[in-house]
Amino acid sequence: MEEQLKIDFEKLLENSNFSKKNVELKRKNFDNFIKKGFPNRREENWKFSDLNQIISKNIKNLSFYNDLSKPNKIDQSIFIDGLEHNKLVFVNGKIEKIEFDYEEKNKIEILDDLVLEKFNDVNNSLLFLNNAFVSNYFKLTVKKNYALQKPLIIYNITNKDLVSKNVNLKVDIMLEENSSLKLIEFSNDKSTTNFININYNFDLQKNSILKNYKIDNNSNSNIKYYFNNISQDTNSVSEIFLLSSGSEFIKNEINCNLNGIYASAFVNGVFMLNETKHHEIKTNINHLVENTKSYQLIKSVLDDTSKAVYQGKIFVDSKAQKTDGYQLSKAILLNDNTEFNAKPELEIYADDVKCSHGSSSGSLNEESIFYLMSRGLNYKEAKKLLINGFLLDVVEKITDSEIKNLIKNIMSLKQ
Amino acid sequence: MLKIKNLKADIENKSILNNFNLEIKPGEVHAIMGPNGSGKSTLSNILSGKKGYDVSGEILFENKNLFELETEERAHKGIFLAFQYPLEIPGVNTNIFLKTSLNAIRKARGEKQLDAIEFLKLVKLKAKDLKFDEEKLNRQLNVGFSGGEKKKNEILQMSILNPKLSILDETDSGLDIDALKIVADGVNSLRKKDNSFLIITHYQRLLDYIKPDYVHVLMNGKIIKSGGPELALELENKGYENFN
Amino acid sequence: MREKEITKLKDYKYGFTTDIENIRAPKGLNKEVIKFISKAKKEPKWMLDWRMKAYERFKNLKEPNWQKPKYPKIDYQDIYYYSAPKSTSENPKNLDELDPKLLETYKKLGIPLQEQQRLNGIAVDAVFDSVSVATTFKDKLNEVGVIFCPISEAIKKHPELVRKYLGSVIPLTDHYFATLNSAVFTDGSFVYIPPGVRCPMELSTYFRINASQTGQFERTLIIADKGSYVSYLEGCTAPMRDENQLHAANVELIALDDAEIKYSTVQNWYPGDEDGKGGIYNFVTKRGLCKGINSKISWTQVETGSAITWKYPSCILQGDNSIGEFYSIAITNNHQKADTGTKMIHLGKNTKSKIISKGISAGFSDMTYRGLVDISFKAKNSTNYTQCDSLLMGNKCGAHTIPYIKNKNPESNIAHEATTSKISEEQLYYCQQRGLNPEEAVGLIVNGFCKEVLQQLPMEFAVEAQKLVGISLEGSVG
Repeated sequence: MEEQLKIDFEKLLENSNFSKKNVELKRKNFDNFIKKGFPNRREENWKFSDLNQIISKNIKNLSFYNDLSKPNKIDQSIFIDGLEHNKLVFVNGKIEKIEFDYEEKNKIEILDDLVLEKFNDVNNSLLFLNNAFVSNYFKLTVKKNYALQKPLIIYNITNKDLVSKNVNLKVDIMLEENSSLKLIEFSNDKSTTNFININYNFDLQKNSILKNYKIDNNSNSNIKYYFNNISQDTNSVSEIFLLSSGSEFIKNEINCNLNGIYASAFVNGVFMLNETKHHEIKTNINHLVENTKSYQLIKSVLDDTSKAVYQGKIFVDSKAQKTDGYQLSKAILLNDNTEFNAKPELEIYADDVKCSHGSSSGSLNEESIFYLMSRGLNYKEAKKLLINGFLLDVVEKITDSEIKNLIKNIMSLKQ
Repeated sequence: MLKIKNLKADIENKSILNNFNLEIKPGEVHAIMGPNGSGKSTLSNILSGKKGYDVSGEILFENKNLFELETEERAHKGIFLAFQYPLEIPGVNTNIFLKTSLNAIRKARGEKQLDAIEFLKLVKLKAKDLKFDEEKLNRQLNVGFSGGEKKKNEILQMSILNPKLSILDETDSGLDIDALKIVADGVNSLRKKDNSFLIITHYQRLLDYIKPDYVHVLMNGKIIKSGGPELALELENKGYENFN
Repeated sequence: MREKEITKLKDYKYGFTTDIENIRAPKGLNKEVIKFISKAKKEPKWMLDWRMKAYERFKNLKEPNWQKPKYPKIDYQDIYYYSAPKSTSENPKNLDELDPKLLETYKKLGIPLQEQQRLNGIAVDAVFDSVSVATTFKDKLNEVGVIFCPISEAIKKHPELVRKYLGSVIPLTDHYFATLNSAVFTDGSFVYIPPGVRCPMELSTYFRINASQTGQFERTLIIADKGSYVSYLEGCTAPMRDENQLHAANVELIALDDAEIKYSTVQNWYPGDEDGKGGIYNFVTKRGLCKGINSKISWTQVETGSAITWKYPSCILQGDNSIGEFYSIAITNNHQKADTGTKMIHLGKNTKSKIISKGISAGFSDMTYRGLVDISFKAKNSTNYTQCDSLLMGNKCGAHTIPYIKNKNPESNIAHEATTSKISEEQLYYCQQRGLNPEEAVGLIVNGFCKEVLQQLPMEFAVEAQKLVGISLEGSVG
């Protein structure tokens, strides 16, 4: 694979107009990736999901160069109906549409050819890979005091043309003071066995509000890694909802730094997995100053031979007195061959805090099924109703009612 | 016994008590009545030494400046507060808690420590007087107690620790009539020529059972009127709104 | 209001040394030293071969570094691996033959061996540095067929039992410190409870590290045969020394069908001084195998000592319907560090495990609960319940909870709960209003916090442990 990487990297540099400095930084990142390679289970973070193995098992002849010169056709039929929204459309990793029809133009700024600013020496080889190979680096800024009228949907579409490729995307989103954004990220994959590596950096300034809903619902054979880096200033709020269901493998990593007092972060997630799917959510919520709050709720329903992993960490700095941190994960295993692994972790250095985590996993409550059957439902219906109720609880945490209903429809949940 | 002169108390720059004066002599029972937010609970907290208030003025208890004493030292001197909301302390057996308290107080007073048998004898006696279910004393302190049981437990503790000045902070609220009588009996049985009481309450109901020597009306952080037991009745008829 | 004086940390009560002549193996770790140990113990050849096998393996192992408490590199060549009081170089026949200074030491520790001999109660095996110096009540135990003796004696007298079970739960090749122990272990206790016997008294071992620059590597092996029951206690102390001393013990428990083993530890090794100088490195491997159906192993630990504690008493629930329990109180103060917890490996059907962990950190200390619950796909209808609570006192210390939860069985249920908090101001105020000073109040509340674990201990130990909880936190209330 190293050979392929080197060839593809040189090809990328040849066919792009990166600045000298950018090339230099990309080389640095590239060298670091070569040194570290794909993460494997010997790294604590990847203990439950050996990406190196997953990639070599699922993807034959992975290559890293994407020719983005030709435009792709957008399959309009996948656009979400019944919800007015702004659009950013990526097809096979190439931006094909930017549409903010509902917004004041000078309140939103989009830069599409950002330069890597400095070498970021974090211990994450997939970020090195991303930095080395990403072609377009986007930045969206919502200006001071502006709240978007309509949600923004980022469509991440891949089509049949994409096979055994590594696609890298990098998007920075800045919410200036008192601004707010509802962002839905919607994946639709018709491609096969690609490794998609996406890096979001959110910068939430004072009093800003981010609502971020990530929906991966249609079945596909891609392997995906999301690294979401969130930095929050005073009184800002982030609300993240993950529907993790469609792809063969996804690891959603969320690193959230609560840097300003009264900042709060909410992470809610649902795993609905079947067949051989293997998904993971890994969170690091860092309470760095006093009076910050975080809340995490993850629910999983696993069938066939699927596997879900939740690694959630709450870190509380010694300065972060009066922290309120909460974390709960619950899983239902429907089949003998499913597996649920959890590592809910607390690392706490301040004494005046309220932190707790809970985790439970097991089967559906047979007594409840019996109760429902005694009221006339058959076994299958009873089971479905219970799962419905189990998951509804998380979806109800979504604070935007329009989007909540959209997601309920997508998940075909009934009230 | 207790002299409060010009007491002023603020919490986070908000004035709660202002120019508050009160004197309680040995053997007297004083009742303080007032509406919500008049400063009643603040008064009891300051007397027992809760931290977090900015205070000025003077409080003398048997001629000793209370501001110089920690909470537990005040308890050693004989100040007891029956809490409005008694705390639950998980894992701590009620009997053990009581014995530890009693012996801490006895030690500070230079009295002999009670051993387990002497202590249990004393508790048995007092619990019987107060119709307190002894079995509850083997449970964790206040954990799983009903509101009434918690209040009765406060009175039981009071009768065992035998304080000189007992402050009852809305002990009557949340009690049914039977429990109220038991609480009142407990207080009355402790009434002696050296023991004084400060009863803080909304309603005059408790005062039907415990006859106070003086009644004070507390509004906006100061006593606006003092009188005998008849004042409580007047207050009950008129309501706080129309009292001025 | 006046400033409260903070009382100084009380001197470590067990910090004395005893001036006793020692026989030592030469410093360092090599084949010769292992031969020396084996020879001093008059061991059969199979035992020496076993040790050599462990040593060969050890040479190829790397010291682990994944645990949270980091420590300066240990020079394994600068440790005495064998140190024995000279007077016991020949095993004493009875207590009267013991060096009076030794008896004095145990008296200071609160374990008067001679009185133990007379009073009914607990049978004690005392391990001083590397050797077992006295075992009481042997005769009485013999009557019911219970074997309770130093493991060095068991190797000679009961080789069939030792060969069958030694290393059957912690294999020779298990991990760095366990393998080191297998190569150089010197003494420890051996217990065998015959089928159907309920051991008539508590069995107890007191461990004492006395000599300087000495590592202590004891090995304990307890076998509860079918339908038997035993409750076993261990206590540990060491003198105050500037240097760090290594304690790497292995404890193996085996419970056959319907048998139950209750293993309690009150660990109070010297924790180092207020500035974190000196103290014991307590790197211990404890593992129990519920081999038979309906068997049960229950670990209870009160960990207040040592500069660094690093241990995970674990249960392998192999037999159907077997039960594993872990009750733990760990307290760290000053510069102490602890990384402790358990592993519950569910292999059999209908297996149950329960974990109750209470961690308290004060001063500049650091505490980690690390635990694994693993329910394999064969362990149908198994359950685990875990409760981990941490209490922090001050903001210079840390409390961490790292549970690993693996469920591969849909008919099994795992529930995990954890909280971290501080002692509430309101509770403190309430206690103070009833006349308790802040330290008494904290002691009371903390003991309440630990109650669920303390009540698992046998009576005599529970009282000692409660006091220890109070003493360990002295000076931490500002």
